[in-house]
Amino acid sequence: MTGSAASPLLKVNGLTVQIGNGRPVDQVSFEIRPGETLALLGESGCGKSMTALAVMRLLPPAARLSGGTVDYLSAGNARPLLSLTEAEMRSVRGGGIGMIFQEPSTSLNPVMSIGRQIEEVLLLHRGLQGDAARRRARELLESVGLPEAERRLDEYPFQLSGGMKQRAMIAMALAGDPELLIADEPTTALDVTIQAQVLELLKTLQRERNMGMLLITHDLGVVERMADHVGVMYAGQLIEVAPREQFFANPAHPYSRKLFAALPERARHGQRLSTIPGRVPPLDTQHVGCRFAPRCSVAFPDCSTLEPGWHAQAGGQEVRCHLFDPARPCMPTLNTPLPTEPQQTAPAVAASPLLQVQDLKVHFPIRKGLLQRTVGHVSAVDGVSFELQAGRTLALVGESGCGKTTVGKAILQLIAPTAGSVRLGGVELTALSGAALQPLRAQAQMVFQDPFASLNPRLRIGTIIAEGMHALGQRAHVAERIAELLEQVGLRADMATRYPHEFSGGQRQRIAIARALAVNPKLIICDEPTSALDVSVQAQIINLLLELQDKLGLAYLFITHNMAVVDYIADDVAVMYKGRIVEIGSADAVLGKPQHDYTQSLLSAAFTRMRGAA
Amino acid sequence: MMPVLLWSDALFFLLLAICLGGIVWARRSPQLAASWRMVGGSRAGVAAATVLLFFVAIALLDSMHYRERLPQQPGESVQYSVEVLSALDALMKTQRTQTEKTYSAPLATHLYAKESRADGQGRDFPRLKFGGKHLEDAEDRGADVVQHALIGLAAGLALWAGLYAVIRRWLRPRAQWFAWDALLWAMAAMLLTGGVLIALMPHYHVLGTDKVGQDVLYLTLKSIRTALLIGTLTTLSMLPAALFLGILAGYKGGWVDDLIQYLYTVLNSIPGVLLIAASILMMQVVIDTHPEWFSTAAERADARLLSLCIIMGVTSWTGLCRLLRAETLKLRELEFVQAAQAFGVSSWAIMARHILPNVMHIVMISVVMDFSGLVLAEAVLSYVGIGVDPTTISFGTMINMARMELAREPMVWWSLIAAFCFMFVLVLAANLFADAVRDAFDPRGRTS
Amino acid sequence: MLTYLIRRFLYAIPILIGVNLITFALFFIVNTPDDMARMQLGAKRVTPEAIEKWKAERGYDKPLLWNAAAAGTAKATDTIFFDKSLSMFAFEFGRSEDGRDIMTEIRTRMGPSLAIAIPVFILGLWAAITFALLLVFFRGTYLDLGGVVLCVAMMSISSLFYIIGGQWLISKVWNLVPISGLGAGLDATRFLILPVIISVIGGLGGAARWYRTIFIEESNRDYVRTARAKGLSELAVLFRHVLKNAMIPILTGVVVVIPSLFLGSLLIESFFSIPGLGSYTIDAINAQDFAVVRAMVFIGSVLYIVGLWLTDISYTLVDPRIRLN
Repeated sequence: MTGSAASPLLKVNGLTVQIGNGRPVDQVSFEIRPGETLALLGESGCGKSMTALAVMRLLPPAARLSGGTVDYLSAGNARPLLSLTEAEMRSVRGGGIGMIFQEPSTSLNPVMSIGRQIEEVLLLHRGLQGDAARRRARELLESVGLPEAERRLDEYPFQLSGGMKQRAMIAMALAGDPELLIADEPTTALDVTIQAQVLELLKTLQRERNMGMLLITHDLGVVERMADHVGVMYAGQLIEVAPREQFFANPAHPYSRKLFAALPERARHGQRLSTIPGRVPPLDTQHVGCRFAPRCSVAFPDCSTLEPGWHAQAGGQEVRCHLFDPARPCMPTLNTPLPTEPQQTAPAVAASPLLQVQDLKVHFPIRKGLLQRTVGHVSAVDGVSFELQAGRTLALVGESGCGKTTVGKAILQLIAPTAGSVRLGGVELTALSGAALQPLRAQAQMVFQDPFASLNPRLRIGTIIAEGMHALGQRAHVAERIAELLEQVGLRADMATRYPHEFSGGQRQRIAIARALAVNPKLIICDEPTSALDVSVQAQIINLLLELQDKLGLAYLFITHNMAVVDYIADDVAVMYKGRIVEIGSADAVLGKPQHDYTQSLLSAAFTRMRGAA
Repeated sequence: MMPVLLWSDALFFLLLAICLGGIVWARRSPQLAASWRMVGGSRAGVAAATVLLFFVAIALLDSMHYRERLPQQPGESVQYSVEVLSALDALMKTQRTQTEKTYSAPLATHLYAKESRADGQGRDFPRLKFGGKHLEDAEDRGADVVQHALIGLAAGLALWAGLYAVIRRWLRPRAQWFAWDALLWAMAAMLLTGGVLIALMPHYHVLGTDKVGQDVLYLTLKSIRTALLIGTLTTLSMLPAALFLGILAGYKGGWVDDLIQYLYTVLNSIPGVLLIAASILMMQVVIDTHPEWFSTAAERADARLLSLCIIMGVTSWTGLCRLLRAETLKLRELEFVQAAQAFGVSSWAIMARHILPNVMHIVMISVVMDFSGLVLAEAVLSYVGIGVDPTTISFGTMINMARMELAREPMVWWSLIAAFCFMFVLVLAANLFADAVRDAFDPRGRTS
Repeated sequence: MLTYLIRRFLYAIPILIGVNLITFALFFIVNTPDDMARMQLGAKRVTPEAIEKWKAERGYDKPLLWNAAAAGTAKATDTIFFDKSLSMFAFEFGRSEDGRDIMTEIRTRMGPSLAIAIPVFILGLWAAITFALLLVFFRGTYLDLGGVVLCVAMMSISSLFYIIGGQWLISKVWNLVPISGLGAGLDATRFLILPVIISVIGGLGGAARWYRTIFIEESNRDYVRTARAKGLSELAVLFRHVLKNAMIPILTGVVVVIPSLFLGSLLIESFFSIPGLGSYTIDAINAQDFAVVRAMVFIGSVLYIVGLWLTDISYTLVDPRIRLN
């Protein structure tokens, strides 16, 4: 890596973006040197992406640059990006600075071939046309490791898989030979194993081209793998800047420390995760004092009135927190460990299994030809068997499209299984239908992934929670039960009269859990219940789930792609791949000594990011 | 006097009741209230709504029908006139009854065509029977018109000032978010225009008279009810079917979906105008062959109006049905629907509780968006002869009567201009209001 | 892809049958031929004999669906349904009230209809897209705002006024072109200019505003941000990326009407006395000539279904996702 001796490539000073009265980016300053990666880390809504867009001057119409400078130093001369004309700026975009985005499936033009989208950049910034452009485009595709590059040139984005699309996107960003690459959550939309490959690719390309890189991410694992320097953002401000080793060895700001503590991992198994109460403040908040103070466990009165300044620490680390103010020597030192919550007792293993799934198959027909005859089947789930004891957690792990969600729905008979047996408490579900299924619906419930789609926006919280009770004919003491449930999931009873839009993602997930609990189920199928949430909120929900398991003896079928969560929460693990379970066993066995190739690659992808992923 | 409730009146009142009910309901639901607040905060929306309210008020007056009691002969039972009148007719009795011989220009004192003088001394423009008859000398007309207009302006201004005071003192402080200034501007425009018209009405044909001497202002005001009915009842008449079938097709899928899609593709594939033409011709035959169904001409015209609404509804519901089906397809996959399914809630309950409320914004948008198009369509259809009954006063029939007038020498322009202005203001207001509603209810459609 | 197109084509058959049944129900079941006869003959001096004669002249004296009196297959074929409804599939529409063959009439009137409809279609599409692109390029400025206001105002004017006003202004006041009628050969252009211009202007407001919405929706998408991040100029983004994607929703609305251009425009043709199918239809409606209306309904549906099919084809041309799947 190039040392700090090299002159910076990009110098951002006091960058401020305004939307209405809010400042999503407030006085942000940093530098990036050639060959070096700065990672901006933070939860959603902290202003990371906005910072990147501001550097490129691609802000949405509502947002406005209201201060600061951005200097792009190329070949010895400095270009103040914020005062260039639009035409000059265009030669920088895609030329000097390339950018890749989070969602490869929407970020490529769907009706233009991959080749043409790359050639467009080559013509603009390299003056290449015709065969020369095509040759160069092919080389670029080859350099990002896209197989059969020649053929891909004429293909359209919909013909490529997610990972391939992101590679094409990277090729496009590299076509102008940029000195700086801005990568906005480049792997968030990808599967775990693909994530690792794309990150590796970015790293290799960076080394080859000595590119500077501004990496926007919320994922500590990605940061650890990629960054040279780390900038932590919170509510529009940078609050901590440090070299990577320093940051991971000794995160300074209470927020950074909490981010680490909130990560689920095996080592914390049996403990409650540390959580950050509350949520990221909304954009238009008028801040007084430290922005993190309302959520900070070590805040003292001055924090909420005085805005902290930067305090340098050893090893190039800088923190914006009063605790590190040398002028306040007698503050509570950070050497005192952050409080961890009490131990939980390990769940007892029940004698007979609550849920038995035998050779479950779900096939979807493929229709083709003039008459739309069924010519074959897609086996979404192809012979899955497992057992789940009462009070235990079985994690069903796999990548998107492996059929794990379909398994969950087939168990609840939301999708009719093609074959196999599902026995809940000894009763065969596949044979039942309609009214006969009703009593069993009370025993197994589901919590969904997207907290914004899982609550009907037109109904009050109370009505939402009561729906299951009404449908299953439990009509006594409904109001009391709703109040009790809300308190059980950590909300207030008077919230029953409100509507979903008044709640944050984490709160909505609590409501969804309360709805499932309303009918006193013994089994809850959790379908990626935390993957739409930020790390700190994820920790709250996981804690809640564990607490409820303790108290109510629930069994969880925990469907997820997140190995870190599995590691933390699961008693048993089943790994799914292409509709089959390829490995199943106790969490210790499967995660500790994986047998199947796929499990190994899944684990290696996830576990090279030792601290886990969010 | 015998009150008469025409079918269209009943439906119009029902519609108003639904609107009022909707307001009460919206106040209880925060999302709806928030969306309506956005409409209330939009200047164009508020101004348009204010103008529309005036039109609705006129249509409402024109929907309270009655039959007058005929002078009773001794010994006979009570007889009622066969003519059905409305409250608006009663208010504008002079305009309705004081007809001239033929064309006269706006505010004229003389007829537009020369006639042989009574004394046989050549041809001249005779004085009007009604317009300016209070004037000794027709030369005084200018001053007289100005004087009346000023009185009208003053009255309008006084009313407006009162309204302004009320809003400033009581209403504005309670609802800062509302675009009161737009309301006030629109009110100023309407009150001042209205004041002048009302002040001049007792003495002149303000907008002139048509070929058979009818007051053009009266005809234009009567057209408003027809336009509003066509614009609203058409959508209303097919709304239940579109809602039911659209949601059913989207939620159930399979053969139900195929069948419903087939149904609306078939209906859609017949060109709208031709389907309307064919149906109206057929309807006319039915009406003509069953004179015994209708006791007055008004009822017959009303039947034709309603059948026009229903037929136009049949040709236009397919679009809404398709939209609802598409939206339901999306909603069906949402997790709150699956959560309900996991509880074993029945399909019908899911459609009623989870799907229906979440597609109502589409219904709302399509009702207001369709309105202006339907008003315009009525004019064209009536012009072609497949619209409302020729005896029903509407913008279309007015234009149909006046279409050759621009080609006359000297040109007669006031009927067309009057129809044009009123229709333009109505449709423009409807379009602006529809835009405000769509912006508020459909986040995706927001244009900037 | 071919099977897809064939399937879509076959899909048309049940729809045409449906249309046929609906028209049959509308014209012969809701109202019996007796009703029609009474209406045509005038309600006053109508005698049962006159009705029978009227029906016999037009072949309406047969049973509706099943001729029990006839022999063999004629039981099914010697009926009104077979004669008047099923025969439409062979484009045999019979004769109009004035005794002329409807299909011949339609053939001769197609030309004038197309002479107006095609220029209107092409110019209208071009003008609306250009105007919309202009507004989108200047979006957020006063030009955009003014343009949208203009569009809404133009949408709020009835097409009747465009025609009446245009005729009055250009033909009567300025005396530029003949007020109505249609000349032969090149001379026809003189007659066609005004109706074409009026139609294009009349449709501009609504179309331009709709396209503008589509363009703006498209230009808020992620790939447009990518294109800008490549350093493309706004114009290149608009023409190379936004326009191409926006053509997909625009095509849905536009291609489907192409076959219907044959039908011409009801209003324009009748106002300008152009002997096309539009004025033919209006005359038939006014004369209550049911045979002609029935024929036009059927032809209109056929053309619409052809339009749906063309839409499918054009999708495959524009959208690689459909072409290659």
